[in-house]
Amino acid sequence: MLDYYAQLVVNGIVAGAVYALFAVGLTLIYGVFRFINFAHGELIAWGAYLTLMFSGFLPFGLAVVPALFLTILLGIGQERYIYRSLRQRSRITLLIASIGLSYLLRNALRLIWGSDLVSFGFETRRGMSFAGLIVTRTQLLMVAAALLFLAFLYMLLNFTMLGKSLRAAADNTELAEIMGIDMKKVGLSVWILSALFAGVGGILIGIDTNLEPVMGLINLLKAFAAVLLGGAGNVWGALLGGLCIGIAENLGVAFFSPGYKDAVSFALIILLLLFRPTGLFGLIGGIR
Amino acid sequence: MDYLLHILVVALVYTVFALSLNLELGYTGLYNFGHVAFFGIGAYASALLSLAGFPVAFSMTAGMIMAGAAGALLAVPALRLSGDYFGVATLAFAEMIRLFFLNERWLTKGPMGLPGIPRPLGIPSGVSGLPLYFLLSALVAAAVFLFTCRIARSPFGRALKVVREDEYVAQALGKNVFSLKVQIVAVGSLIAGLAGALYGHYITYISPSDFTLNETILVLLCVVLGGRGTQWGPVVGAFLIIFFQEFIRFLPIPVDFGRVVAPIQGMVYGAVLVFLMLKHPEGIIPEYRI
Repeated sequence: MLDYYAQLVVNGIVAGAVYALFAVGLTLIYGVFRFINFAHGELIAWGAYLTLMFSGFLPFGLAVVPALFLTILLGIGQERYIYRSLRQRSRITLLIASIGLSYLLRNALRLIWGSDLVSFGFETRRGMSFAGLIVTRTQLLMVAAALLFLAFLYMLLNFTMLGKSLRAAADNTELAEIMGIDMKKVGLSVWILSALFAGVGGILIGIDTNLEPVMGLINLLKAFAAVLLGGAGNVWGALLGGLCIGIAENLGVAFFSPGYKDAVSFALIILLLLFRPTGLFGLIGGIR
Repeated sequence: MDYLLHILVVALVYTVFALSLNLELGYTGLYNFGHVAFFGIGAYASALLSLAGFPVAFSMTAGMIMAGAAGALLAVPALRLSGDYFGVATLAFAEMIRLFFLNERWLTKGPMGLPGIPRPLGIPSGVSGLPLYFLLSALVAAAVFLFTCRIARSPFGRALKVVREDEYVAQALGKNVFSLKVQIVAVGSLIAGLAGALYGHYITYISPSDFTLNETILVLLCVVLGGRGTQWGPVVGAFLIIFFQEFIRFLPIPVDFGRVVAPIQGMVYGAVLVFLMLKHPEGIIPEYRI
């Protein structure tokens, strides 16, 4: 019985590692622009679907490259053609535009690839067993890739000038600008990072399960929950938040009907807003 | 003629729905991205009660009250933070409610939906009841319209607009911003519940797929296209959108392309929202500002 729960926790960590990728991207944008991008989920889905398209004529490892490149372009395009000109106006126009954009992009996916489930078509392999816990190769890949990208982010934020400017901008945008930090460069790099992480996470989810047009929306809500858990604008909080959401929803399966797996994170969002609106870890002053 | 009446009834239902969203989005500046949840609660509660044998008028009232109560319950936690989080919380709430409709088979029959919902006041179901139902929904829509006009002109409505423009000013004027917001979300949800009940008893069949993000986007578009924060805006928006939707059916679209119509329609709605925000954020009827 204990094994059963341990297995659920392991599955949760794997899922959570990917949610952390989404949440980190979302919170980076929030940190710099103070704006919740409702179209972030569509970057996740487009990353996965573009990989599907390129893997039609390229080996999978190579197909990932142009797919991620296009996802990043999509992220930069959102900023350049839509959000930038709306930033001076009331926030409501910005948020309505972002939810409209997400609807546009999601329906474009449905138009091109249809509404049905599709997959990358990998053969299912038997999982490996460690001390009674079963882990598949895909799951190992997911954790490894998430760790790789998060380590990359850690290095970038802590050991480069760009990372320093990112942190400064997240802390206080006006002050950072006064100090001569190039906000255009900061904005661009934040969008590149956010879209890259979303795309990678989308591909990993696609390898693990399926691709469907609503995958963006579902994972976006989980990323929201993770961001709220960690405290908005807080990168490492979002990472921990992602892991917690992954574990919580997998353990939830043991207690509720599996149909409610997705609802666990939604319920967490509402509970958190009720009891700990500053985030569970309260690391507000920490590394942003 | 019957078809026209049908479109008019649907447009009137959406008018009520859009008017309720306008109270929150237009007058108070609250980004509610899950308004369909309250529409759904109203529809399901009213349908379930009337199927259990209660009089339809009673069920519809109960559905409204349940939707309003759900709105108030959600608003209390969700409005404790800045407006952005309200959007997140409502979006999440709408998904939760949809999962509830889908999974609680003992109550809602899950994806099968609820067939055979009776119409109110003995109006026969089917085509013969159309003129009477049109009359009923026109009366309801007119009542809701007058009610929202009254709210907009009242001191309460003016306080809401101050909250939208600047919360600190409202606070400095001695208004309890939090309480004002919770009240308007409760009222908005109540009316959305009425719209849902009106829809359910008209169509006589509801299922979880009637209450998805698509409906939220549709009603958001009605309000934004017509003109946020105006009295006639949501009405104009709802009629335009519903008539446009029905008009598409008459386009000579080859059967093979039938599959792509819905996604293209969705893309158009999304693109119109983005375009309006970029070029015409005030919508067709601009709000009168002093």
